[in-house]
Amino acid sequence: MTVPDIFISVILLGSVALFGLAAVLVFSWAFRTGQLSNFEQAAQSIFDADEPIGQPTDRFPTANQALADNPRK
Amino acid sequence: MQDSATISTGERTPKEAAHERWLIDQSCRRAVLTWLVSATVWLLLGSVFGLLTSFKFHIPYLLDTRAEFTFGRLRAMHLDTVAYGWATMSAVATALWLMCRLSRVPLPYAGMVTFAGWLWNLGMVAGLAGLAHGNSSSVEWLEFPPYVPPIFVLSIGIVSIWTIATFRNRREKQVYVTQWYIYGAMFWFPWIYTTAALLCTMVYATGVVQAAVNWWFAHNFLGLWITPVGVGTAYYLIPKVLGRPVYSYHLSVLGFWALALFYSWAGMHHLIGGPIPAWMISASVVGSMMMLIPVIAVAINHHMTMRGHFRELRYSPVLRFTVFGAVSYTAVSIQGSFEALRAFSEVAHFTHYTVGHAHLGLYGFFTMIMFGAAYYYIPRLTGRDWSSAFLIKAHFWSSAFGITLYFVALSVGGWFQGLANITPSIKHIEIVQGTLPYLFLRSVGGSFMVLGHVLFALLLFLNLMGYGSKRPQLVELNRR
Repeated sequence: MTVPDIFISVILLGSVALFGLAAVLVFSWAFRTGQLSNFEQAAQSIFDADEPIGQPTDRFPTANQALADNPRK
Repeated sequence: MQDSATISTGERTPKEAAHERWLIDQSCRRAVLTWLVSATVWLLLGSVFGLLTSFKFHIPYLLDTRAEFTFGRLRAMHLDTVAYGWATMSAVATALWLMCRLSRVPLPYAGMVTFAGWLWNLGMVAGLAGLAHGNSSSVEWLEFPPYVPPIFVLSIGIVSIWTIATFRNRREKQVYVTQWYIYGAMFWFPWIYTTAALLCTMVYATGVVQAAVNWWFAHNFLGLWITPVGVGTAYYLIPKVLGRPVYSYHLSVLGFWALALFYSWAGMHHLIGGPIPAWMISASVVGSMMMLIPVIAVAINHHMTMRGHFRELRYSPVLRFTVFGAVSYTAVSIQGSFEALRAFSEVAHFTHYTVGHAHLGLYGFFTMIMFGAAYYYIPRLTGRDWSSAFLIKAHFWSSAFGITLYFVALSVGGWFQGLANITPSIKHIEIVQGTLPYLFLRSVGGSFMVLGHVLFALLLFLNLMGYGSKRPQLVELNRR
């Protein structure tokens, strides 16, 4: 094996090991910290007190003021 | 660091929640705008390169007096400008904003991320100058000369570290599915780019290894960088704009992990028929078919979240672009899985069919979602609404019509071209002439897409110049 061959092999094998190890570590972290159990809370985490479930948050420009005045419309 | 101490934790009143988001948006404003405005400039330039390349198929002597405008150079300049200039920079802009919003923390030391954006731009200028002077590596998707990858690696390395830092500082402990996709992308992209650049433009793996690394990278650029950012963004925008939680969070998590598991196998299907070990191609075909699992999971989730609310498409520009992108994602991914089959590839490979497929992915899916995201976050960053609903609608229809015509023309023309290619009795020149009407239609479609880009750039410019009404939320906050 030449020096470039060794270098290429190290990059390829190191890359595979890094990727595999990272995937296992992240998955186990997610499992340990409950990220894979409380799905309902996760799904609702993007809503806020002023942007609750049921309120659209985007309109064409001319309609934005009306949306802010009456969010349920 | 921005005023993070003033951000409250726990239950918030509506006013506190709005104030918190405003602080977060202000912290990342300059960094996000640097990446997005740069991306838009590269989009315009890449569009011109692409359009010229397309015209050359049916007007071959167009601009042929200067070497810089020859097909070989222009084609590489188009690909690298839209892949690294537009797609990557818009992906970083969107990911930065989303990760701050979803982690509920301001961007720490945001100046470094802005600096990374200028560094990336430096790499783009150096790379394009190299390509224009004929200094290409000749490796598709990695054409930039060897002095460019170190600049890119440093820049994206800074962005990745800042992403991790934001994640570690997060106030929202529950990780939303969009964050899974973004953190995955921010880990995968520096990894695949560094590995491929080392092996294809610096150390020079040769022969079969180079081809394998080349297509492992090229496919994963789409699968492990562009796709997770695009899908993750849609997973935020559709529920958030509708005000409706995602249909099944279980499915969304399943989709993410299935993508992480299977996508990196898929690149070798580009080498079907090539001189590489058959088992590598077979494994890749299996991986490509297994991708149907995350794709169907995403398709069901997006469709069921939208179900009963399709009328919202009339009122929300963000939803229009994002849903168009989400539907394109399903279409292009299912198409891609079947393209990986040997029998299908026998006809479609090495034809314009593949070019249509690639554009449906990078444009119909990813670019449309990036437009949707920009229409959502730019007014929140600048505090001004878009100045013209008409221009937004014109942008949408121009881009949507353009990519549809482009895709249909190349799919039909490419399939006929492929059937003719495997019919020995047909002369090659007849096959080439037979593709001309489809290539002309491709140029028409491309022209509509470019028109859409000009309208988007104009809207962005007007917004940054202060045109458009002040957002009501900002007026309210200023009264505090």
